[in-house]
Amino acid sequence: MADPAIRFERVTKSFGPVRAVDAVSFDLPRGALVTLLGPSGCGKTTTLRLIAGLELPSEGRIEIEGRDVTRLAAAERRIAMVFQSYALFPHMTVLENVAYGLSVNGARRAAAEAEARAMLASLGLEGFEARLPAELSGGQQQRVAVARALVLRPKVLLFDEPLSNLDARLRRRVREDIRDLQRRLGLSVVYVTHDQQEALAVSDLVIVMRDGRIAQMGRPTELYEDPADSFVADFMGEANVIAGEVLAAEGGRARLRVGGVEVESAMRAHPPGPATLAVRPEAVTLAEAGGVPGRVVRAAFLGQTREYEVETAAGMLFVIAPASARAFAEGAAVGCRLERVIPLRG
Amino acid sequence: MGALSLARAALVCAALGLLIPPWYGPDSGFTTWPAGEAAPLVLLLARGEAWWLWPLPLILLACAPALLGRRAEGRMLVACGAAAIAWVFLQGWAIGLPGTVWSIAAPFVGADATQPALGWGATALLTGAAGLLAAGLAARGRFGGDAFVAFLVTGSAALLILFVFAPLLTILSAAAIEDGKIAPGALVGRFAAPEAWSLACVTGSLGCGVVWNTLALATLTGVLSTLLGLAFALLAARAKLHLGGAFRALAILPLITPPFVVSLSLIVLFGRTGMVTEALSALLGIPRSRWIYGLPGVLLAQLLAFTPIAYLLLEGAVRQIAPSLEEAASTMGARRFTVFRTVTWPLLRPGLAAAFLLGFVESLSDFGNPLVLGGDFDVLATRIFFAIAGARHDPGRAAALALLLLGLTLGAFALQTAWLGRRRYVTVTGKGDAGVPTPLPRGLAIACGAVAFPWMAFTAIVYAIIMLGAFVHDIGRGDMTFTWRHYVTAFEVEWFQGLVFRGAAWDSLFTTIEVAAISAPLTAGLGILLAWLLARQSFPGRRTLEFMAMLSFAIPGTVVGVSYIMAFNVPPLELTGTGLILVICFVFRNLPVGVRGGIAALAQIDRSLDEASATMGGGAVATLRRVILPLLRPAIIAALAYSFVHAMTAVSAVIFLVSARHNLATVYIVGRVEAGEIALAIAYSSVLILIMLAVVLGIDKLVGRAQIGRRAPAGAMQPAPVPVTA
Amino acid sequence: MTSRRVFAAALFAGALAALVPGSARAQGQLTVYCSVQEEWCRPMMAAFERATGIRVAMTRKSSGETLTQIRAEATNPRGDVWWGGTGDPHMQAAEENLTVEYRSPRLSELHDWAVRQAQQANFRTVGIYAGALGYSYNVPELQRRRIEAPRCWADLTKPEFRGEVQVADPNTSGTAYTLLATIVQLMGEEPAFTYLKALHRNVNQYTRSGAAPARAAATGETLVGITFLHDAVTQKVNGAPVELVGPCEGTGYEIGSMSIIRGARNLDNAKRFVDWALSPEAQAIGAEAKAYQLPSNRNAPIPPQAPRFEAIKLIDYDFARWGSAAERNRLLARWDREVRAAAR
Repeated sequence: MADPAIRFERVTKSFGPVRAVDAVSFDLPRGALVTLLGPSGCGKTTTLRLIAGLELPSEGRIEIEGRDVTRLAAAERRIAMVFQSYALFPHMTVLENVAYGLSVNGARRAAAEAEARAMLASLGLEGFEARLPAELSGGQQQRVAVARALVLRPKVLLFDEPLSNLDARLRRRVREDIRDLQRRLGLSVVYVTHDQQEALAVSDLVIVMRDGRIAQMGRPTELYEDPADSFVADFMGEANVIAGEVLAAEGGRARLRVGGVEVESAMRAHPPGPATLAVRPEAVTLAEAGGVPGRVVRAAFLGQTREYEVETAAGMLFVIAPASARAFAEGAAVGCRLERVIPLRG
Repeated sequence: MGALSLARAALVCAALGLLIPPWYGPDSGFTTWPAGEAAPLVLLLARGEAWWLWPLPLILLACAPALLGRRAEGRMLVACGAAAIAWVFLQGWAIGLPGTVWSIAAPFVGADATQPALGWGATALLTGAAGLLAAGLAARGRFGGDAFVAFLVTGSAALLILFVFAPLLTILSAAAIEDGKIAPGALVGRFAAPEAWSLACVTGSLGCGVVWNTLALATLTGVLSTLLGLAFALLAARAKLHLGGAFRALAILPLITPPFVVSLSLIVLFGRTGMVTEALSALLGIPRSRWIYGLPGVLLAQLLAFTPIAYLLLEGAVRQIAPSLEEAASTMGARRFTVFRTVTWPLLRPGLAAAFLLGFVESLSDFGNPLVLGGDFDVLATRIFFAIAGARHDPGRAAALALLLLGLTLGAFALQTAWLGRRRYVTVTGKGDAGVPTPLPRGLAIACGAVAFPWMAFTAIVYAIIMLGAFVHDIGRGDMTFTWRHYVTAFEVEWFQGLVFRGAAWDSLFTTIEVAAISAPLTAGLGILLAWLLARQSFPGRRTLEFMAMLSFAIPGTVVGVSYIMAFNVPPLELTGTGLILVICFVFRNLPVGVRGGIAALAQIDRSLDEASATMGGGAVATLRRVILPLLRPAIIAALAYSFVHAMTAVSAVIFLVSARHNLATVYIVGRVEAGEIALAIAYSSVLILIMLAVVLGIDKLVGRAQIGRRAPAGAMQPAPVPVTA
Repeated sequence: MTSRRVFAAALFAGALAALVPGSARAQGQLTVYCSVQEEWCRPMMAAFERATGIRVAMTRKSSGETLTQIRAEATNPRGDVWWGGTGDPHMQAAEENLTVEYRSPRLSELHDWAVRQAQQANFRTVGIYAGALGYSYNVPELQRRRIEAPRCWADLTKPEFRGEVQVADPNTSGTAYTLLATIVQLMGEEPAFTYLKALHRNVNQYTRSGAAPARAAATGETLVGITFLHDAVTQKVNGAPVELVGPCEGTGYEIGSMSIIRGARNLDNAKRFVDWALSPEAQAIGAEAKAYQLPSNRNAPIPPQAPRFEAIKLIDYDFARWGSAAERNRLLARWDREVRAAAR
């Protein structure tokens, strides 16, 4: 039982000359919610479809709970998937939609419908059984899609951008519902999104993809606080990427030279020498002086926060400061103190 | 379906083919079964006959142990299936009815080994072998590992090769053969013949080459039917006229009219002694002429026949133009006419191109109207027919002309692609468009009305003549005494120890209905399955399969008929003289429409529905049956209606294929026309029209009810959903 | 639900099976290709069935189409007897070895012209009726134009008939080929083509079907239609205002023929059919079916409406020569080149 929920061994999927997924390997633990994150075209959806069996790999090997499924069709993999468009069958009622998977797997009609009814009830969809999907709201449709997937008790549940068709207010609630459900039932879930906030909020593990390869894989905090390269740094929330030189770094503190000025900041250990550094906008504090000197080019008040663009010798810095901190006007000379700096590998 | 279960089912099917039904298709049918010439293969082999068929049971035995041992060995299954198919055909070609055909086989089997055509046993074996082949391919990971898809692809490819591609090759190879030898010189001569390319009509009073005639007629028909159809479409979709019923009737009637009938009616009206001609001559002193015979008459008949198709296409196109685009233009200050000219018209271009292409292609392959009304004006379709059936029988010349006709059709398709290819015109995004369509500019509305309403009246008169002609003595000579006698001749029924169908038309009517009723579901089924394969599955050779499925659309019926009789008259495949060949001919001729309809309908169905079903454990069969087919119901029913109607009205392809026991209504009517019995022809046609009208209206009603319950989007009005409280 | 589906499937399968060759082809069977009009074909076959108890399967097709079909089926013939239709395609079939020799015991009862034609074809075909070539004109139309009634072939080239003569295209119609061969035999080849070129100027349309000009003359679509005279009789009997002309110079004729197809599956029945079809009783059926050809059996009753051969000057038509494929193709090619392609 030590087998991971999903194992990819050097899986490649080519569409003609394009390698949508390029020699990707990973192990996904059971009972975890794993997010595939990346910009469009990065291969995350293809990866999901490879897990589902909707695409078969050109090379490599895929296992689900220790079973080789590389050549297995989707229908035989015991997974379930919630689609971006929900893919509810428009000619079937809600009940028929949810009972569909059970009945194609050989359940008797009455048993399948009873189970479907129970599942709908547990998702708060009582009374909607006889409706057609077109007669439901977006959020209700989404829950029917989840019910339809869960009723099959799949080994792995896949979500393909399940929130993208919902309005902003609903999104947060639904994503938390999904997280609760996953925790409660101990499901292994793979979740595709291009929204890093969504990914950070719900995931046990995040895989950031870029050009068909894994850019970085880790817990949300790891990715945010210790991105491997400027792509991940930038994708996991905004980051100022600047060139600098590490003078000394040990014990969580470092002395750096940035924009010709020597500064001190929190930073993990790193050998001395030139380095590419990432600084989160909220990890910069502005003061009248000290740190890297610069000039405010643009200032904006956003209610809870203020945003600045500051021109420095190291380049333009994007800074987010709490509204409670001191405000600077455009044109003001400031000093930027770097609270926390991330040295990038790439 | 798994590869193993398919392979087992295929093996059982093939084994049954060996053990039970007659291996050969002897004329005695099942009468002597299981002995005599209707014996199954095992008995033949046991009797020591046809020993060259021994490899077949051996091949099957070779792959049996693995399958019984629950293993589907891809490589071996592929080899077994392919070997069985190849052996059946090779020995079938090598050893025919008159004796050993291939001299290479003579040393082994003797020069006078004979065998009749393949029968049901062989059919079952071939089906099984195709199944083994497909299972093997699926087991090797082809076709997404789905054995069902593999079987469908293998099976339909085999059928298409057999019934579309091979006959075509047979007839086209005839273009290069003279006196039984391949003669490239003859091919060139036939292609460059002045009968095809002469330009004498430009310089003098002589007729032009038949290619130019055909092109001129097809272009005129294409352009004019498109314009007329557009006038109707604009009126129907954009003018506030409630003419739905009348327009639909107008659209349906010509589609269900057998060939010749419109032409006959035109002669009654506009012939030199026609009603209109006489009236004009008497009232206005306009001299009576024979203008109807030739280009004008054929053009008129084709316009009557094809304008409705253009109308149906263009009405859809007009309705699909999102009103918001036009509104956007008006908000930018454009006047109504400017909006029409700059926005609506360019957006109509794909619709116009499609309508033109359809009119053009239909005109190219039309055979009935030029036959009756052509006069000295010859087109390719009729020239091909008479090159084969005329006094100078010359299949080589016919084949060369057929190639030219094929070239024209393919050229038209290529031009359309070139014209439309560069821009995209998608205005239907799936988002609701709440705008109100702009009404037509006033001038344009009047112009459309001025064209459309007289045309409608004209169509009505033409059909009135048909209905009237069936009930009077001789409408052609103006003898308008009422009579039932044409109906009595055709449809007399007598009570003589039970119901006896005495009328001359009953036999052909029964056969026609039977053949149409059998071929329609087969066409629709195969068409939709192919559409599903082409639109939803990706596999090597998909483009080729699509090309073959669409190919018969471009082949004129005359060529199909002759190629069938050439290809299927001798063993191993002997189908001439049966009703089966009529069914097969109709199925593969009407297939492209079913496939196109299916592909178009599938494009409206989100792929994620299939995928959702797959992830829930629904294999290809379950997905197809429970998700796709119910959603495709309108397309299926449309394909059913189309193929039924076409099977009842087609003539050029089947005129060669009807036989003593299986005559068809249209061929019978052609005979009546030939004998000058126009009244009987008209009477029979009117009955056919009524039958088809009943069928089409019935089907139309069914489609109306089959709409998916897409009621008002109630959800949009509801409060935010209750949170998931699981 | 399920049982209904099974029932529907069974029905479908049954219907399919009914279309497949089969079960009914017992011994007492005969397949006839019939190339005269339907009204004649049907009672003929019914009478034969009554007379012999042999079941007949009959297809009606024009003689050109039938010849095409027999050629295409040559390696595996479907038909047994080809009954009716103008003689030339039958001669051609005989020449191409598509039909078999059979000397019916009734040959002695036949008219000379029928016997002669059978000899020319090595007894691979036999005449069952004859029809003389001629033309018919529409009387009211003629009177309206105040044209003198034509009597000869030569009259048709007069300028007042400009655009008023209709005849079939010899490429598609045996009737029109008979005209071509008749004029050549009547005048000699060179003068014949001079005549045909002159006639060409007056022809309004070359129809595809041989009998169509008779119908056109009956309705007044054309003034004069050149056809076999029995086709014109049919129109006249139906009440059309036409007059028939057996041209004064003399005219050719067709011999409607009958052949047994090589490889016939029911050869004995086919021979029985041929014997029967040459009998006076069988040949009387034509008149009842409004077919006014002259029967080939001397003892058969002649329909009163039939144009009498005695009243028409018939030429000594050489069926063997003008029916041969080589001669036919040569004449047709010349006609295409010199007549059809000429300006009007």
